[in-house]
Amino acid sequence: MPKRKLDPLPSAAFQILLSLVDDDLHGYAIMRQVADQTDGRMRLGPGTLYSSIQTLLEAELIDQVDSREDTRLGPGRRRYYRITSAGRKLARSEAERLADLLRVARAKKILRGRYV
Amino acid sequence: MSEKIYAWLLHLYPSQFREAYGTEALQLFRDRVRDEKGFFPCLRLWLDLIVDLAISIPREYGYAQAVSFGASAPQRLNSVPVFYVLEVGPPRPGAMLFGSVLSCLALATFWLSLNHVGNYVGLGIAATGRLQNDSKFFQLDASQTDRQTAIRATNDTEVFKMDAVERRRVIDAAVVILRKYYVERENAQKMADALLAHEKRGDDDNVTAGDAFAALLTRQMRDLSPDRHLTLDYSQNPLPEHPAGQTPEALARYRSAMKQLNCTFEKVEILPHNIGYLKLNSFPDPSVCQSTAKAAMASLNRADAIIFDLRDNRGGEPAMVMLIAAYLFDHPEYMYNPRENTTERSWTRSPVPGNSLADKPAYILTSRSTFSAAEHFSYDLKMLKRATLVGETTGGGAHSGVWHRIDDHFGMGIPETKAINPFATNDWAEIGIEPDVKVRAPDALVTAEKLAQDKLRKK
Repeated sequence: MPKRKLDPLPSAAFQILLSLVDDDLHGYAIMRQVADQTDGRMRLGPGTLYSSIQTLLEAELIDQVDSREDTRLGPGRRRYYRITSAGRKLARSEAERLADLLRVARAKKILRGRYV
Repeated sequence: MSEKIYAWLLHLYPSQFREAYGTEALQLFRDRVRDEKGFFPCLRLWLDLIVDLAISIPREYGYAQAVSFGASAPQRLNSVPVFYVLEVGPPRPGAMLFGSVLSCLALATFWLSLNHVGNYVGLGIAATGRLQNDSKFFQLDASQTDRQTAIRATNDTEVFKMDAVERRRVIDAAVVILRKYYVERENAQKMADALLAHEKRGDDDNVTAGDAFAALLTRQMRDLSPDRHLTLDYSQNPLPEHPAGQTPEALARYRSAMKQLNCTFEKVEILPHNIGYLKLNSFPDPSVCQSTAKAAMASLNRADAIIFDLRDNRGGEPAMVMLIAAYLFDHPEYMYNPRENTTERSWTRSPVPGNSLADKPAYILTSRSTFSAAEHFSYDLKMLKRATLVGETTGGGAHSGVWHRIDDHFGMGIPETKAINPFATNDWAEIGIEPDVKVRAPDALVTAEKLAQDKLRKK
């Protein structure tokens, strides 16, 4: 049993899973990607970021792939992380849960718009 | 700088987290600092970090504790006390936060109270120095006396009032002590006569406070002999009847004060070009500070040159002078001390095993405040051509005194010895030691560093 809870899935963990969907990323790239995909609303600090990464690793939702340099950021090896199939599945079901919520919200006319 | 702060803040996390992600977290911080330049981005970065620390630290401790709770398997052993934890869950984050704030408050209070009583610690050291047995030397200069007098005056709510009879009694006792013990007999007689003459003329009549009276008599004596080791002191607290020997309490007080001050070894560093730098603000008692001194010298052992910064060093124990000087020679060397007749202790215990500083260039930084034992160290190393003195002419305190109790509140420091100088020059009494390179004290370190670098380059 993992020591850290993922039920319900914390938003930081969900955002990290989403950030890894397209590519393997290192910590700083994950942080930047999360900031981009939330329009800068979520800037993960190192503590929150690595705490969430540890949780996701323990739950085997992500893997640590290898350590290599990021040439754009200069010398120094960085640990890269990759989403696992279980991670993808969880991210998808979380997205669907949120989509359901959205549909309810729209039905209740709390939220306007044509799309989910 | 900001990276250092963040690296320090990372220590607030549990060790498991730090070991696993400390380097990454620091790397991420570095990346953000590099990419987020300017005042507002920088401010935002720090706000982010503070929020992040506030949230993630309690959470990580929660996890760490959950693991340790899970790992402990209570097992009862015969006749071994067992402690049960009644609260099985880890503390709530709120409780952790409250605990942290409370600890910070407690630490701040402790720190404030330490600072508040700092003056009394200072007095404690001075008192320890004075109350040592008669064969020990005390080294208390004028400004220290004045400072202590001032501290006493401000702290005392009830000032000791003196009448004519009391004044006369103190003067008579001072006259007897001067005539009997002061090293320069002729001056002793002159000073004794002057004290009596001032008293007769009524110069002392208006002084009723004990500390002011002590300062006045000291001044009257120093008008004739500018000997800063000659003092008449006043203490609001009754002086012990038999001050011989170190009481365990005084020693404990001295020990704790020295521990707090790191034995006055203020800085022990390796400067650029592998120049060792030791800022020493006194020569403390080796019976308490020997290990600190040895550790400091050992950490400078690989330096190519060494700078002793004695600009704020007002003296101390000759034994510590000998201990440190021993590192600068590869054979026992005679160190002249005007306070002591020549004995076995007048030779350094060189060579020191494992020491490699014996042939390294040495520099001593001096100022007008460099005094007493610090001058002993500087003078001998200068005369032996073992060190280059850089800075200002020193304070000029060569005599040492033995403490004589007059009554419950008054006592005198009297210089009693005068050894013969083998260097066929004046010692530093009253005139101080001329440095080899004369510069203002604040510029001394830079100058000495340059000298050392030039010397190392020529090698």
